[in-house]
Amino acid sequence: MSKGKKLALGLLSVMLGLTIISFSRAGIPAFNPLQNIARIGLWEREYTGGRYTVIKDEHGRIIDMMARVVYKGDEIIAADNTRYRVERVEGDTAYAREIGRERIAWEDYESVPAAAGAQRAQAGRTPGGARNLIAIYHTHSDESYVPTDGTDSIPGHGGIFKVGSVMAQKLRSQGVNVDHDLRSHDPHDSDAYRRSRRTAVSLLQKGPGALIDVHRDGVPDPSFYQETVANEDVTKIRLVVGRENQNMGANLDFAKRLKAYADKKYPGLMRGIFLGAGSYNQDLSPRAILIEVGTHTNKRDEAQRGAALFADIIPTVLGITAVPPPGAVPPSTAGDWKGVLWVLAAFLIGGGAFLILSAGSWEKAKARLKQITSIEWTNFLGRRLRKPSREAPGQANVSKDDKVEEKELNDERAPFQKD
Amino acid sequence: MAGYPLGVITLVIVFLLIYFGLAHRVLDRLYLSDRAGLALVAAMIAGSFINIPLLSGPITTSINVGGGLIPIGLAVYVLYRAGTAKEVWRALAAAAVTAAAVFFLNSVLMPTEPWNFALNILDPLYYYPLVAGIVAYLVGRSRRAAFIAAILGILALDVIDFFRLLAAGVRGTVAIGGGGIFDITILAGVVAVLLAELVGEARERLQGGPEAEGRPRSLLASLKIGQARKLLNEDADKKRGGQDE
Repeated sequence: MSKGKKLALGLLSVMLGLTIISFSRAGIPAFNPLQNIARIGLWEREYTGGRYTVIKDEHGRIIDMMARVVYKGDEIIAADNTRYRVERVEGDTAYAREIGRERIAWEDYESVPAAAGAQRAQAGRTPGGARNLIAIYHTHSDESYVPTDGTDSIPGHGGIFKVGSVMAQKLRSQGVNVDHDLRSHDPHDSDAYRRSRRTAVSLLQKGPGALIDVHRDGVPDPSFYQETVANEDVTKIRLVVGRENQNMGANLDFAKRLKAYADKKYPGLMRGIFLGAGSYNQDLSPRAILIEVGTHTNKRDEAQRGAALFADIIPTVLGITAVPPPGAVPPSTAGDWKGVLWVLAAFLIGGGAFLILSAGSWEKAKARLKQITSIEWTNFLGRRLRKPSREAPGQANVSKDDKVEEKELNDERAPFQKD
Repeated sequence: MAGYPLGVITLVIVFLLIYFGLAHRVLDRLYLSDRAGLALVAAMIAGSFINIPLLSGPITTSINVGGGLIPIGLAVYVLYRAGTAKEVWRALAAAAVTAAAVFFLNSVLMPTEPWNFALNILDPLYYYPLVAGIVAYLVGRSRRAAFIAAILGILALDVIDFFRLLAAGVRGTVAIGGGGIFDITILAGVVAVLLAELVGEARERLQGGPEAEGRPRSLLASLKIGQARKLLNEDADKKRGGQDE
């Protein structure tokens, strides 16, 4: 069998195997249609066992509840700005220790951009152009609210889309451009963030000032999220920042700004900030945030009102409703620079460790580093001198593969390094 | 990017430089020259903005040029250029095992929120490449196999998704490589190769050079160290001996 045929056969058998796997998990509708009806949205319902974590402080006081498993090292900035760190987890109870009090006050942030509402900018004419766009999407596109939607999960058409729409509407009414993405990322499993990553990237290509992934929580107690804010019955909103990515510091600062202004304008709206294990695709942007609007046992109307109030604060926080003085940009936050340091430190430590390991000793590592800086960069930036062709014009019968080898492989690297 | 604070711009640029740099180093290992590698990184960045729609309807299907077509093409090219049939089979086996392993992790071990699984301390973002890298190293035993396993293995998840959505009749999106150069597919490919390299280098360092016994001489010819040199010298001696007779 030729190599090409073998390759085709191999690829085909891999695809066949995958098809069998996927059908064995999902069931073939043609063969057992009745069974399939029951299986629609099976993945989505499985997780609604109502499992949630209660987080207590040293005195046994409940400080938070959420429908995720909490890990040691996760942090919570409570509504009152007390910061806790989870010390140990026993079953569905996490014990956190108070580690300080955050100063989250809008007065500290509002100097630049200019005072909110001073001059309303026209849509699309804001200085800083792209910043006048906010992108909204939903990783868990099935999430719904039981009292209003009848169930906690509607695969592909969750009530959460309507909450996102209300947010988008409110933002547009303030002259902000909104890209509300309605793509479904079902099934609701661990892979949902891989699917929604594509949506997030396509939204980021339009250059939004912020990227918001709208969710709802799964804590059974509706009162945990219910609140009356600005004379309206709303659900509170929790901000979630992923700890496992280089943008964590920048995104946490963004979350703090949001909380600071929300605390000032709509006290009680914020449930707090949760810094959890995970990335939530926030590695893609230093202005990405995940929000939980209420929980599945809340009425969707309340969630929509809460989302509208939240949308009301965003333009000011991003500095897109006010025209800043020419040349003024929002200042870099400490978190932004911390992010830069983290990325550089990780690269230097990781790269250095690898260099020493692969070279075998400190001296050899240094020599190799020198090789990288001297040979590879000149190779990269300068024009490489071509060897004069030894081939006579008539000698064109050299096999094609050999030719490729000669011209394309890197001379400075031994072939074994390329295996 | 006008209007963004300097810190944010620096953070993004530093991250991009390092990420693209690593991606380039990885492409460099795949029968490509420095320049071809660089050109491919550029093509993947540009291709990230191009989505080719495949199917519409309840399951919207598309393939991204930078995150889907180019890496798949590259994986198939590397497979085609593989030295031995064994290498091809190993790489394909590694791809299948990677797909099965990640699917098992996602759907059986962590069928709900990823964070509802006691052993999970890593975001799925990071375990795709880790699983691909480890599996590829165990099954494929080479950097190239690691690349193929990661790219085709993660791609297979999209195929599985498509059939699951079809079977359940649920609205969904299958955007193959839709994240462009930031898609999990490429991220997995890059990290898997680096991981294979790290593990491979560490192992070879510990055993004092690559294993040479029982390997085709054509592969050993490029090795100038340790056991390989000894075996090649023996060969040369034999040959000389034969000629003398």
